[in-house]
Amino acid sequence: MTNTTSTSQGPALEQEGPIKKFFRATEIDTRILGMVVALILVWCIFDIWSGIIRPNEGLFGGSFLTPRNLWTLLVQTSSIAVMSTGMVLLIVLRQIDLSVGSMLSLVAVATGVLQVYQLGPSLGVGHPAIWVLGVVMCLAIGTIIGAFNGFLTAYAKIPAFIVTLGGLIAYSGVAFLLAKGETVAPMDQNFSVFGGGVERSWLGPFWSWIVAFIACAAIIYAIVNGRRQRQRFGFPLRPVWAEVFLASVGSIVMLGTTLVMNSYAWPPKLIENFAKANSIVIPAGIENKDGKAICMAAENVVRCTEGFILYTGYSLPALIAIGVCLVMTFVATRTSFGRYVYATGGNPEAAELAGINTKWLTVKVFALMGFLVGVSSIISSARLNAATNALGQTNELYVIAATVIGGTSLAGGVGTIYGAMIGALMMQSIISGMSLLNLAAAYQNMVVGGVLVLAVYLDQLYRRNVK
Amino acid sequence: MKKTIIAMMAAGLALGAASMPVMAAGKTIAVSWKTFQEERWKTDAAAIKAVVEAAGDKYIDSDAQGSAQKQAADIEGLIAQKPDVIMVVAFDSDAILPSIKAISDAGIKSIAYDVQFEDPNALYITFDNVGVGRIIAQEVSKLKPEGNYAFIKGDKGDPNATFLFQGMMEVLKAGIDGGKIKNVCETFTDGWKPDNAQKNMEQCLTSTSNKVDAVLSENDGMASGVVAALTAQGMAGIPVGGQDGDLAAINRVAMGTQTVSVWKNSVDLGKTAAAAAIALADGTAMDKIAGVAKFNGGKNKVEMNSILLAPTPITIANIGVAIDAGHITKDQACAGVKAGTVEACK
Repeated sequence: MTNTTSTSQGPALEQEGPIKKFFRATEIDTRILGMVVALILVWCIFDIWSGIIRPNEGLFGGSFLTPRNLWTLLVQTSSIAVMSTGMVLLIVLRQIDLSVGSMLSLVAVATGVLQVYQLGPSLGVGHPAIWVLGVVMCLAIGTIIGAFNGFLTAYAKIPAFIVTLGGLIAYSGVAFLLAKGETVAPMDQNFSVFGGGVERSWLGPFWSWIVAFIACAAIIYAIVNGRRQRQRFGFPLRPVWAEVFLASVGSIVMLGTTLVMNSYAWPPKLIENFAKANSIVIPAGIENKDGKAICMAAENVVRCTEGFILYTGYSLPALIAIGVCLVMTFVATRTSFGRYVYATGGNPEAAELAGINTKWLTVKVFALMGFLVGVSSIISSARLNAATNALGQTNELYVIAATVIGGTSLAGGVGTIYGAMIGALMMQSIISGMSLLNLAAAYQNMVVGGVLVLAVYLDQLYRRNVK
Repeated sequence: MKKTIIAMMAAGLALGAASMPVMAAGKTIAVSWKTFQEERWKTDAAAIKAVVEAAGDKYIDSDAQGSAQKQAADIEGLIAQKPDVIMVVAFDSDAILPSIKAISDAGIKSIAYDVQFEDPNALYITFDNVGVGRIIAQEVSKLKPEGNYAFIKGDKGDPNATFLFQGMMEVLKAGIDGGKIKNVCETFTDGWKPDNAQKNMEQCLTSTSNKVDAVLSENDGMASGVVAALTAQGMAGIPVGGQDGDLAAINRVAMGTQTVSVWKNSVDLGKTAAAAAIALADGTAMDKIAGVAKFNGGKNKVEMNSILLAPTPITIANIGVAIDAGHITKDQACAGVKAGTVEACK
């Protein structure tokens, strides 16, 4: 690394020598680090700005860096984030899928119609088979459509851009016809758990900690196992201190996120309902309108600071997104399938000559994309508790933007899953933050567009300097 | 562009000449729809077609699929078929104006159906949109005469979003000036999309720490997003207003999560417009048609002849009206409603 690289990376790299050594040893991608810094900066700005307009309990006195907003942010990001992990592999493979938004509305509407008009009346509303069938159908339809896109691209040799542009237009038409343009609502009550809007889709602190510990164990296992594999094949090893550092950073991020999620209290009305439904005695206390807990004050249930309280912990959609991120990272970096994708994207001819069945690989990656669209459509329709053909429209743009902001190169061969997740988080942060400030959607679009172009420009600058 | 028009007109003339003997018996009423992506326009189309064909006239139409360019081409195509009247549901009320001029230049009468465009030669037929906003605000403020109000407005580019808001403000102005009602959030919603409305509502609740007492949503699709956001905070049940008479919204009214859905019976609108179109085709002067009055409440204050129909508010008290009109079945309206809570569901 040269001097110019370090200066372009901002304050983290001001010093020479030990820092350079540190990044080489830990193999941390400095671009991703830059994005994380930018993300945190954006969060702080929004918190300070919103605090000026309307003081709240955020880190800097605003409404952005509150457990509540961060919790909501994760839920709002989850659908786009899940799809962007699939888009990374597609773009790495030098393909693209423009139809994910329309596919999402098609899958959501098809499943909505099945639940509300077919299964509901025939099995009885709330029958447990409804949500199972709903989920299976979302995943199945998504995968089939994805595979179909892939088949046309790989075997019929139509460029993916055209196949999926056609899909973008055609699938939304199918979605419209299926629901005849109506809003299909409400979804099955068990199915709507996947949206994160009902009590049952909140894990609660206990299970959130369990999940966090499992995730930490998985991170440590992945690092230990990775080291063993490198030893086995005689690859250069990271120094032990670097491995320990990576494991602790991963664990701290996971535990910190869990702590934030666990400090978001249930809305007071829901706590009250829960207490009544489970005949829990609400303790007496002094009223405090800004309190998060509930107390009894002279026969009335009031808000207070110390009383009966429940915390949400992770919501199901956020958990699904985190799970998808971990699984997809594993798939991309540790399986032969994932490595073939990167190899083919880097040099299709060489990959083919090396014996990779690139056509079948293309179909598989498109099918995987479709499967993930299925997952997202479950989250989106459950969250809105309704399915309409407007759901998912223009999502393809956000998914591709998240992927590209996350450092995936449209030239193929380069891209990371966690980069795309951070990209998605960045975009949603800007949208949610500006909406907290009551700024119109037009400004949100302007800023998101600007960030996209700026991110790619910085990326190019970085690559040129590295060379 | 001009060349295309000429070419298309020539082609149209040839076609027209071929089919002339069939058409000579009656008049032709044409409709240029902005989109069939929403269920309601199909209902309008069916109503218009029924009236036109019952009168022995011919109905033709085209679907612009949500594109201003396609609508311009559609109208050229319709002009070429030489109808007597062209009704236009404009996708973009400014971009459509050259096409409307082309219609007048061809000696054809035009009707602005539901969406206004400001051309004094056209007859504007719609529901009283300012009135819709007024009714939403009235029904909600009846339940919550004071408190914090949130406004979820429609797409910025649609004049109806502004008309609706105007109407709401007419009703709420006294309360706001007197300090009883506070406007705590007010956002436009990109493309009237329910999921955008949900996100906006979530952010509104976050920024006000749930101190919202009533929500005025400019349509029912967005109200579904609003109710989802409120439900997640255990606040479902506070007054929420919307419009369109969406089936899901009427169900929400029955369940008590939405206060009012102002229903614009598209069948009424279609029938009125078709009758007016037939009258125009028969040579009746615009201002002599029943119900026509002057209207100049548009963006540029152009005075137009217009027919404004009164919409119907659907509340928990009169859900039966929509069921009796065949707009919604009793099963759909009452799905998931606790037995005995709603009169119309018994």
